[in-house]
Amino acid sequence: MSPRDVAGKPSASGDGPERKISVRPATEADLPSLVPLLLRLKRLNEEFDPLLKVREDAEKKAREVLRAQIADPKALVLAAEGTGADRGKLVGVVRAVVRERMFYTPELEGVILDIYLLPLYRRRGVGEYLLEEVSSLLKAKGAGVVTAEFPAQNEIAVRFYAKRGFRPVTSIHARSL
Amino acid sequence: MAESAPAAPARSRSPRRRAAEGPTSAEERRAGQTELLGHRAVELSRFYAGKIETVPKVPVRSLHDFSLWYSPGVAAVSRAIEAEPELSFELTGRWNTVAIVTDGSRVLGLGEVGPRAALPVMEGKALLFKFLGGVDAVPIPMQAKSPDELLAAAEAIAPAFGGINLEDIASPKCFGILEELSKRVEIPVWHDDQLGTAAATVAGLLNALKITGRDIRTTRTVLLGAGAANLVTARLLLALGQEPSALTLVDQKGILHAEREDVDELSVRNPWKYRLALRTNGGSRSGPLERAVEDADVLIAASTPRPGTVRPEHVRAMRPEPIVFALANPAPEIWPEVAREAGAAIVATGRSDFPNQVNNSLVFPAVFRGVLDARARSIPDPIVLAAARELARGAEHKGLSVHHILPTMEEAEVFPAVAAAVADAAVAEGVARQRLSHDEFLARAKALMERPARLVRALARAGLTAPMPRGRVGQRRSV
Repeated sequence: MSPRDVAGKPSASGDGPERKISVRPATEADLPSLVPLLLRLKRLNEEFDPLLKVREDAEKKAREVLRAQIADPKALVLAAEGTGADRGKLVGVVRAVVRERMFYTPELEGVILDIYLLPLYRRRGVGEYLLEEVSSLLKAKGAGVVTAEFPAQNEIAVRFYAKRGFRPVTSIHARSL
Repeated sequence: MAESAPAAPARSRSPRRRAAEGPTSAEERRAGQTELLGHRAVELSRFYAGKIETVPKVPVRSLHDFSLWYSPGVAAVSRAIEAEPELSFELTGRWNTVAIVTDGSRVLGLGEVGPRAALPVMEGKALLFKFLGGVDAVPIPMQAKSPDELLAAAEAIAPAFGGINLEDIASPKCFGILEELSKRVEIPVWHDDQLGTAAATVAGLLNALKITGRDIRTTRTVLLGAGAANLVTARLLLALGQEPSALTLVDQKGILHAEREDVDELSVRNPWKYRLALRTNGGSRSGPLERAVEDADVLIAASTPRPGTVRPEHVRAMRPEPIVFALANPAPEIWPEVAREAGAAIVATGRSDFPNQVNNSLVFPAVFRGVLDARARSIPDPIVLAAARELARGAEHKGLSVHHILPTMEEAEVFPAVAAAVADAAVAEGVARQRLSHDEFLARAKALMERPARLVRALARAGLTAPMPRGRVGQRRSV
């Protein structure tokens, strides 16, 4: 995948400048910028359920997992870079893996673990672009189905995916022990 | 945030003398006086056992008249309304009756005191509604465990009322409750802590801008505090042409901006604040208040009642002839004399003992008078802005100065004019059920707003209201 520009539409409120991004596979050099973005997403998830409380060493863990997955052919880490005034600045991150489905077909599932965009880049079609981009990259890795994991109470995510043809297939329910 | 009640005008102390004494001694005296007033209020509440009662508005010559006021005659009135529900605004007192709804979650500066303890405050509000606006207001503190419960209850009582005044509900849940209730009912819904304070603030600011020769479109504005009042003030300023990029909000965590650490949390917990985080602060300033006030024209603080929250160096960092509103009650974020010494051209506070009091009571009685007279279905922002503009005009009419950017509570002639402007705006916005001319609205508002003072006097003269028992304080005639 080569870096590519995508036109972000003006925001729904009509304010502010256009926000364009370019997307590319992340490298080790991106880690210092990607870690905070990933942590922002995890802290957002914390808002939805006490069982999603972020651990103290989450920053270290984020760095480790990103480093491992950047190198892992079964995983995808994409970096979204701003343009214009935000040129060179990472404004979003996507993390996905290809998993085997032991009992079902299609046998390979592309799992979107995280999509995070800084607030000013939301509601402009950028997220949708990232979703389509990561979907086709997962397909290229052999996945016959794409799934997304996010907190059940995150209604914005529910709507975002439902609008793009996703439906609940399996649920994960939890209780504390 | 500005207090709802118009504190008794301090006739014995002129603002000038008050300022010369310096804050400390005056502050000690004020604290002592507040305590005495509290004692007296409890004493009088016991004596009068409440502040309002229902009084018949029809003649009752004998019990026979009840065949008209009640059964069987009233059945025909009931059938008429059943056939045409809008007649409830003509054949009953609905047209002039407002529910004061609260869950007691943020009462005055007291915090969450619960519905029973909120009742005396709501009675006081009802008294203000009647005395200043000629509006019959019914205190309805509710035992509500959640916003949904409060919403359901408020929606259920709407058929009896011409409007709903939400009172003393904590931020940020007050935003969702106001928005949702406004959608569900066909009568105006108002939350004074948001709209009343914001409208009074905007009115004062319009005149302050005028005096200092500024245009709101080129004004750099800083709002300190991002609670009920300032979030709505921000919205109204933007509607008036304030450039979003020249507007900066600041709260305990510093400058609100699109990449602040807590911005995702805000998107879930306080979407109103979140939206402003994305829209404002175009220069992408971040950090403390010090950074925000650099080159600012206007600072509006509605935050913590602690002098020193805004410091002289903040004022000095602003552009020449800065405008400073310090609206926290009971103590402003910076004392007016301190702000002026630091160069502030115009200072406003929430207090009646300084010039330029930003006071909700300048707004809500007139707004309700206006929307009730127009039998409005809602209060969209243009109506709020019409109230603010007319209030500003009212002060201008008496002569603008750095000490007079808002009418005082004594300038009573302003209020019917604000009511009429509100009613006109309801017509213009297409939410009025009753479309009268400006002069008709004005005459009606005058008559309805003047009547309660006469009523109170007449009741006292006739001995139907007991004279106020003697006490150590509160002997001063305040109305």
